[in-house]
Amino acid sequence: MSRETFLARVRQAAAAGRAYRVHVQPGITAEMGRAAHGADLVVEFIAEVTKAGGRPVVVRTPEEAKQQLVELFRFYEPRSALCWQHPVLEKLQLAEFLPSHGVEQIDFAVIARQDFDHRRGTILAADIGITSADCAVAETGSLVMAHGAGLERIASLLPPVFVAVVERAQIVPDLFDVVAHFGGRLPEKLPSNITFITGPSKTGDIESKLVTGVHGPGKWHVIVIDPQ
Amino acid sequence: MSQTDYTRQTHHEFLVAAEQALDDPKLQASLTNLGDTLAQRNREAWAAFPQSDAVRELARQIKDETLAHLDEYLEEFEVSVRRRGGEVHYAADGAEACTAITEILRSRGVKKVVKSKSMTTEEIHLNEALEAAEFEVVETDLGEFIVQLSKQRPSHLVAPALHLRMPEIHELLSGDAGETLPNTPEDMALYARRRLRADFATADAGITGGNFAIADTGSIVLISNEGNARLTVSLPRIHIAIVGIEKLIPKFADLPVFLKVLARAATGQKMSVYTSVINGPKLPDELEGPEEMHVVLLDNGRTRILEGPLRESLFCIRCGACLNACPIYRNIGGHAYGGVYSGPIGAIITPLYDGLVANHHLPHASSLCGACQAACPVKIAIPEMLIRLRDQLHAEPGELGWAEGKAYGLWARSMRVPWIYRLGTWLATRTVGRLSKNGWIRKLPGALHGWTKSRDFPAPASERFRDWWKREGEL
Repeated sequence: MSRETFLARVRQAAAAGRAYRVHVQPGITAEMGRAAHGADLVVEFIAEVTKAGGRPVVVRTPEEAKQQLVELFRFYEPRSALCWQHPVLEKLQLAEFLPSHGVEQIDFAVIARQDFDHRRGTILAADIGITSADCAVAETGSLVMAHGAGLERIASLLPPVFVAVVERAQIVPDLFDVVAHFGGRLPEKLPSNITFITGPSKTGDIESKLVTGVHGPGKWHVIVIDPQ
Repeated sequence: MSQTDYTRQTHHEFLVAAEQALDDPKLQASLTNLGDTLAQRNREAWAAFPQSDAVRELARQIKDETLAHLDEYLEEFEVSVRRRGGEVHYAADGAEACTAITEILRSRGVKKVVKSKSMTTEEIHLNEALEAAEFEVVETDLGEFIVQLSKQRPSHLVAPALHLRMPEIHELLSGDAGETLPNTPEDMALYARRRLRADFATADAGITGGNFAIADTGSIVLISNEGNARLTVSLPRIHIAIVGIEKLIPKFADLPVFLKVLARAATGQKMSVYTSVINGPKLPDELEGPEEMHVVLLDNGRTRILEGPLRESLFCIRCGACLNACPIYRNIGGHAYGGVYSGPIGAIITPLYDGLVANHHLPHASSLCGACQAACPVKIAIPEMLIRLRDQLHAEPGELGWAEGKAYGLWARSMRVPWIYRLGTWLATRTVGRLSKNGWIRKLPGALHGWTKSRDFPAPASERFRDWWKREGEL
């Protein structure tokens, strides 16, 4: 069926359907749907991350964040890492820090020049993903990832272990605030892919038993840098 | 289950299938927990979020507004998708959608396709069409993968393999592996992760549905807990999303309203693990992501619903909350409904898509208790619509037998004429009581036996209330 015929049919049906519009309550606004935010944003955020199955930790400085990473490296013994190129991570100087702990940071510029099979092999073998986030949501414990060059979607997806480092200033109270966060880029300049991450990969498909790590990372760590 | 015909070529006998479901101990074991798990989590989620009532109302209003001007929002969506380098295709029915998708795959030399869970692709029987065209098709949601191995159909909107028990799943996955896997859920999931990761890495195209399509940004929104939807739109070079036209919402700013209710309704989570907003193919400087993105917009009977009194059923966001809440679903499971969509919402939309007479049992497969409406994240008036469908059924020629029609006509008349009613009740106390034993009627004679087939009736009292009142009540 042609586009014109299709849309004409929808136009006619939508018009006829207006006779059956539902009765609605007047005076409902989006603001009424804001969750209650009593506690401190960092406290609320890490409580929700925990509920979602993540392991959050709050540190004061980038230096302390690096110590947390060292502990994770000791535990998981990763050999290679997919890392974002992000201002928050630049403060950790991952490029020097990772090799000093025996972890190779996969260089996006290098693998971009490799052939398809070679590149696939490298990224699928990565043991850990390290990212920041575009913003984080206290209400739900979500990380909001705006993907793009250097902020690759695969970093939080392919490796079995995923670590995100975020700063207090990145945390917004409510899901509604995410819209304002992207406001300047709406509607035309949004990144190609935005993903909200709220937990380790989960399934309940075998007799409703919770299993983590079925497709995405089964381990989810969040390091919050909070100078306060 | 033998009564579920995957491609629905033959007529589905609801009563037979329901009876088989009730007699199937394994299925019953699967269904037993549903009320204590998913349904309970949903009720707790609404209770813990008092604002949910306002948000659900708002979600409902946005859906109503979108459908009232759906043609305009579709055109805006198309412009937005094209602006980001995506392509939009229109399909009037399932066959057109399958053809459009097959064409895209063929012209690009695709061999292997990975899919993330999509009820819309079930609805149009896409897998059969793709397999007939000799593409390799792999379902990647763990539940869907298991269901695909079992050659069955999903039995629940969000938990497709709900009807299968661990030993059956173990057998299916071991069969696929060619060896006996360790039989813990963790080991089975790990096998699926490895097996399917290899498919993701080598697939040429990923096919998804869409939880929402956003008009002002041209976005497709995909929600999953496992991460397979993300992999489907990250590793293959082509992404095709097939989306029913009712999935449109006007603005990116509307999305949080729906995110706040969808996961709470589906699983009791505040958010599902992964919510991806896909705004087009990858940008040239990105390392991974599809180079091409296609959106197939599907009508397949939706405009027929849109123009009529059951238009509200198009508000559905496919969360499954009404299934989990429904006492009927919780007894017979999804397959007995015979359609792609089961439970209370399936009892409405299966007859609308597939014909009311062919599915005449479905509107009656409800006690009208209203648990579905109370659970619904967009407050769809499901019981009211079921009653409306029952009403429409009675207008269908040949639906009621001649005798049954006459009997109901007589009943209606006698209820309006006091002296006939009085005579009727007087007769009942003196005749019907004879059929009873110990105060219960276990078997009605002749054509009436259907009423007592699966339940007993309390016998009418030997004295009418009006006679008792005359004697005792007036002081």
